[in-house]
Amino acid sequence: MTPDEAAAALTAPTAPYLIGVRHHSPSLAAAVPALLDAARPQVLLVELPADFQDWLGWLAHPDTVAPVALAAVPGGRGDGPGAAFYPFADFSPELAALRWAARHDVPAVACDLPLSHRAWHQVPARRTGPAPGGPSLYGALRARVGGRTGDDLWDRLVEAAAPGSPPEALRRAALLTGWALRQDAERDEAVDPLDRAREKWMRARLRDASADGRRAAALVGAFHAPALLAPAQGTPARGEPEGAGTKASTEWTVSLIPYTYPLLDERSGYPAGIRDPEWQHLVLSAAGDPAALGEAALGTAVRICAELRSQGHPSGPADARELNRLTGDLARLRGLPAPGRSELVEAARTVLAQGEPLGRGRAVARALERVLIGDRTGRPAPGAPRSGLAPAVEAELAALGLPGPAGPATAARDLRLDPLRSDVDRRRELLLRRLLVCGVPYGEPLAVTVTGVAGTEALTTRWSVRWTPAAAAVLTGVGIRGVTAAQAAEGVLRAARRTEHDNGGPTAGQILAGLREAAECGLPDLVGERLTEARDILPGSAALPELLAALGLLDRMRAGHIAGLPADDTRTAATVSVAGLLTSAAVRQIDGLTGSDDPDDARALLELAHRADALGGIRLADSLSRLATHGSPLMRGAAGAVRVLIGHEEPGDLGARVVSWVDAATSPTARSELTRRLTGLFTAAAPLLEAASPALEPLLDRIGELPDRAFLDRLPALRGGFDTLSPAGRERLLAVVEERLGDRTRDTDAIDPAELAAWTAADLAARDVLTGLGLLPPGTRQPSSGTPAATGQPYPGPGGPAPAAPVSDLTLGPALGPADRWRLLLGRRTDHLPPPAAALANALDELYGSGRGEGSRGDLTGRGTGDGGGRISSFPGVREWSGELARLFGPGIREEVLAAAAVSGRQDVLAELDPDSVHPSVDLLRAILQHVGGLPEARLAALRPLVRRLVDALTRELGTTLRPALTGVVTPRPSRRPGGPLDLARTLRANLATARRTADGTVQVIPVHPVFRSRARRTADWRLVLLTDVSGSMEASTVWSALTASVLAGVPTLSTHFLAFSTEVVDLTDHVHDPLALLLEVRVGGGTHIAAGLRYARGLVTVPSRTLVVVISDFQEGYPVGGLLGEVRSLVGAGCHVLGCAGLDDAGRPRYSTGVAGQLVAAGMPVAALSPLELARWVGEKIR
Amino acid sequence: MTTAPSRSAAPEAAGRQISPPEDRYATELAFLAAHDTGPRPPAWRLTPRAVVTFVLGSDGDTLRLPAGTDAPEGVPRHLVVEEKFVGDRALVERCVVTLAGERGLLLVGEPGTAKSMLSELLSAAVCGTSGLVVQGTAGTTEDQLKYGWNYALLLAQGPTRAALVPSPVLTAMTCGGVARVEEVTRCLPEVQDALVSLLSERRIAVPELSGGDDALLHAAPGFTLIATANLRDKGVSEMSAALKRRFNFETVGPIGDLGAEMALVRRQARAAVERAGTTQQVDDTVLEVLVTAFRDLRDGRSAEGWEVERPSTVMSTAEAVSVAASLGLAAAYFPGDRDVLGLLPGHLLGVVRKDDPADASRLLGYWDGAVRRRAEQGSATWRTLWDLRGVLEE
Repeated sequence: MTPDEAAAALTAPTAPYLIGVRHHSPSLAAAVPALLDAARPQVLLVELPADFQDWLGWLAHPDTVAPVALAAVPGGRGDGPGAAFYPFADFSPELAALRWAARHDVPAVACDLPLSHRAWHQVPARRTGPAPGGPSLYGALRARVGGRTGDDLWDRLVEAAAPGSPPEALRRAALLTGWALRQDAERDEAVDPLDRAREKWMRARLRDASADGRRAAALVGAFHAPALLAPAQGTPARGEPEGAGTKASTEWTVSLIPYTYPLLDERSGYPAGIRDPEWQHLVLSAAGDPAALGEAALGTAVRICAELRSQGHPSGPADARELNRLTGDLARLRGLPAPGRSELVEAARTVLAQGEPLGRGRAVARALERVLIGDRTGRPAPGAPRSGLAPAVEAELAALGLPGPAGPATAARDLRLDPLRSDVDRRRELLLRRLLVCGVPYGEPLAVTVTGVAGTEALTTRWSVRWTPAAAAVLTGVGIRGVTAAQAAEGVLRAARRTEHDNGGPTAGQILAGLREAAECGLPDLVGERLTEARDILPGSAALPELLAALGLLDRMRAGHIAGLPADDTRTAATVSVAGLLTSAAVRQIDGLTGSDDPDDARALLELAHRADALGGIRLADSLSRLATHGSPLMRGAAGAVRVLIGHEEPGDLGARVVSWVDAATSPTARSELTRRLTGLFTAAAPLLEAASPALEPLLDRIGELPDRAFLDRLPALRGGFDTLSPAGRERLLAVVEERLGDRTRDTDAIDPAELAAWTAADLAARDVLTGLGLLPPGTRQPSSGTPAATGQPYPGPGGPAPAAPVSDLTLGPALGPADRWRLLLGRRTDHLPPPAAALANALDELYGSGRGEGSRGDLTGRGTGDGGGRISSFPGVREWSGELARLFGPGIREEVLAAAAVSGRQDVLAELDPDSVHPSVDLLRAILQHVGGLPEARLAALRPLVRRLVDALTRELGTTLRPALTGVVTPRPSRRPGGPLDLARTLRANLATARRTADGTVQVIPVHPVFRSRARRTADWRLVLLTDVSGSMEASTVWSALTASVLAGVPTLSTHFLAFSTEVVDLTDHVHDPLALLLEVRVGGGTHIAAGLRYARGLVTVPSRTLVVVISDFQEGYPVGGLLGEVRSLVGAGCHVLGCAGLDDAGRPRYSTGVAGQLVAAGMPVAALSPLELARWVGEKIR
Repeated sequence: MTTAPSRSAAPEAAGRQISPPEDRYATELAFLAAHDTGPRPPAWRLTPRAVVTFVLGSDGDTLRLPAGTDAPEGVPRHLVVEEKFVGDRALVERCVVTLAGERGLLLVGEPGTAKSMLSELLSAAVCGTSGLVVQGTAGTTEDQLKYGWNYALLLAQGPTRAALVPSPVLTAMTCGGVARVEEVTRCLPEVQDALVSLLSERRIAVPELSGGDDALLHAAPGFTLIATANLRDKGVSEMSAALKRRFNFETVGPIGDLGAEMALVRRQARAAVERAGTTQQVDDTVLEVLVTAFRDLRDGRSAEGWEVERPSTVMSTAEAVSVAASLGLAAAYFPGDRDVLGLLPGHLLGVVRKDDPADASRLLGYWDGAVRRRAEQGSATWRTLWDLRGVLEE
């Protein structure tokens, strides 16, 4: 059939009067009354499910204000597929036709298949992409009409061409477009069986309507129009066999609910929407007049520019004019009678966005949305029957036996649900979750205490539910979002998601929360979308803990532990693939852990390594080996352990390395590093040393071989490292060690002491004989501790009289045996130690107590623990302890132990620290500063000398290194290039040699060497803004940046600002010359909002090209990344020099979120981990 | 110009590596001028619609001169216009409409997306020459955008019109043509701002000549400016907001379609290899792997929708062409040494590892992800690449 024949057949006078439409079409909606006036039908058929028949009157009621929506759900069930949603706006041809029918008293018939018909519920045949074979009509048309590739063909063929055409031509164009699509579908055999069933039904209704000779007009989808002609051409269909019987199966509940334009917009996620309803409304008002449409486009252009201006971006009448010109010219170039939406949007992007997809581009998109979507709200006619969400929820509550409005008003009821076992509980759980999401004050989740092993998730839930009038009120309010709890919950979540997008895109946290809520509410579609988001956004922006949380959630979903989500193969597959992506994204984050000093990161590293190792690959091995060589002490230890655990390294190698750490611990710094390394090692893999004996062996030997003095020096550091293990863990380790040392015989509780004494006497006698004969190997000394232990005599209790042996006795006296050393450094079974060693153990226990974790409550009942559990402080005060430490270990080690105590949170030792002898370190300073906030001023005053000395020493050290990088700044450079104006006088002087007298006697100078005046730069007004992240804890970076700021503040050509930010920004510039004051002012805590900090910094900028902005942060932005990128762009765009510092410390080791940092680099902020020296060099280079 | 033009339609002029489009496509330009006789903006050689056709080609259709018009000398009566720019039609339409409104056009995009080629084609079609061009560098001075002086004449005769040396921009202003500024963001901001007054007032004041008729040099109708700029490149300075407001921005994206990009790479790599005097061609399988890898790394997403971590280096089509050409040359000059595919990982590493050392580990990640999964799915080519991963690990 040629198009002409088709058009003739479709519009033939003998055929029923067909109007082919799309569900929303302003041009057709404007033309429909005129078309119907001309056709004067006696009955009007509209393509709406027959279930809506009763509501057509209310829909077309003069008091009903569009937009409204008709919604239908299967009765009795609140969720599941098949819920139907039909929004109507003024520009819906259906509504226009129904209104016309109401005005002219023409009966209207909803002629589509009833929703209860089984054809709706059959699984649609899966379309298999574009069909094979020859060129399609669609493709051919597509190629002719131009426009953007994303545009709908309907927009191009019908809407864009409509202005200025008579209604009849419009009808013809619409019918033909539908016919073309139909032809393609028929040829590819891609027509859905459902469509065929619906068309069959509609044909029958059409025949019924026109049976008594009435003139019928049918308003149907353009795609279906050709099919309605079929009976006229073919055999008349017999009566519909299913026709009568279908309605009985399920009753569908239909509601008429108010609607809004933002919901109607296609991007809101609600079904059957259209892009930019407000623009469509304008097109409808223009009623096909090209001039009016041109006016509308002009008005819209002006409003877009005004909206953009109100967002703080310059855009004036000149922009509006250019926008309007481009819109019109584009339409003319494409041969259109008037500009369409597509031209307007394209032109706005070209003229206004300035090629910045993030900063200005986002603002333009927002302005476009505000102007083109609008905010009209509709309402059903006041007399319409009550329908919608509230009745549906009340019915569902009653069905599930939950308290509702009908029951007696009672106090709150407690429920314990087991959704994975009972179906009723599952449905209750779902309903409660959904109402919770909708904000209905009905059910409240209660925490479930899990009594099992920590870390097990609870599978049952507890709720406290109560019906209140407030719940009813809120239900009416959320009714706009849908007619069942499921729809409404989905609507609320989608709206939240939309808001997230409007604010610059969801953050990692929001995606996670959204995914969890969608899963708990049992909304598979939304879960799918959130999964897509997780796939797209999380790898780039989530920090490691968030990635691991996401992986945990995905595990729960896959295991079916979320009640709302029944097993689904597609989703499981999607979950698995997303989990794979997130795992590899997490592997990338490993580089960002380089500088971490947080045991949680070590644990995360272990979890991640186990997950990633299952996937294999070469990236993980590479990252771990780099971490093990370049990381912070803690991360080196952790990475080493992880590498052994996943088989990348031999345990023996690790053991050898651990020994080298011990050997190298000769200076205070190295000793504190040893502690951190061991902490990392044990945090990641506590049982490693117990299980993998090759890893333990070298350390075992070395501890035994160390000279006493060396051992004592390292003892506090070792004890600190092993303290990471729980007491029970240390107990087990000690057992292993003792076994290996062959020292178990000393635990002789079960043997009769008298017998033991006899054995020992025999042993000693034999030994004496051997000694006398000289048969003992040289170097074997008599173990001094053996004899008293064997006799079973208890040592004096720890609280007893102080041991008499002074420190000299210990060093001169008999050496400590290997087993005793292990007891000391593990802090277990210290009651078996000889007196001098027991004093050591006692002094260290004062610091470390009995440890954390398993067995720390003193309930560890093993042999030999004696009174070890429940130990109480054995020193009356810090002063005594400090004195004891000095006596036992010497003054140097005493300071270290006290400093370690300060770092671990003991305020009372601060007073004992000697300002003059303490080793200045950033860690100690950090620790002290952390306590400063909680101290009364009187104590603080006593501390000031100490802090001052620390700060001074550190600042002096830093200043010595920084100053050379900053000297010699600003020397004017002579430039020989022809830049500025010509310096005539100098040029003459320089070229006198080439002066010639010409023939007529004048002098001509030939300027071989022109000299130019180049502008000298002004030098003295550079501005440096240091933005320091003080969220979380007082990081070393914070201290370093304050110190650096104060050094840089001393540079005369630089004015230095110091801003501290978390979620708020504090300007500490006043104190910048005094690092002590600066540090005492800084208060840590709160989230991270880098964008806010940058916004404040932007206010400080006066001359952008001479402004340096340095952000010191871990870049774990807690707000939408979009906003952050926008701020960075606008700073960079203004011409500031921006630098991101992922960590500022003497080694330049960062701990940061690599995903966000990567995006920042792309936005124009280079991110690097720097030492203060490198930062000063950067500043120096910029201002030189 | 980062993208080498494709094989010529007309023979290359002797002794040139590359001919400008107005020479190379002279026939097409003359034909289109005769073909579409509709109204034209002032000083335009072609109608806007014909400009679009010139840039995008006639889609294989043969265009015929309307009956009754005389064909100019040397111009056939019917002609297939070749496709020169692979990209979105709507984009080109917007560019042409912007120029027709005499507004400045700024083409932005990542390096190697044929922005410069598009600007050459547009200016050649609109005003008949693409030669009025200023190359933006950090050393570009204001007199390269406005006017300079012949200093010898200036000293000898004082400021006269004869001593004034017009810049390409000034030439375009006086003759109503299209001036091009390449890499405008590489100019220093104060130099860029010379364009602001020029674009808003459409005239240049010459204070040295004040008092005479030449004190103000006015723009003739038809004058406009096309600038190009890179978004993602090192060493660019930002444009001032004032200058941005005077331009319409068009973002030129990478080629969307794998087939089109492969065809382009194949064509240009072949041209490069032919210039070297050999005929050795890179196998299509290798080419497909190469282009796919470039696209994956550029988009951060593989063809199958798997996440790929983007390196900080720009993976442009132009780079892909140069790698393909290198592979072809390697096969030509060192025949039989090694399988060409075996050279690919090394070349990719060379492209990726430019400044950020982390990029190399991102390539490792690509091997772990996309390459391995394709290998597991049974593709022999990717299997070979996966086996070659040792090249990437030091």
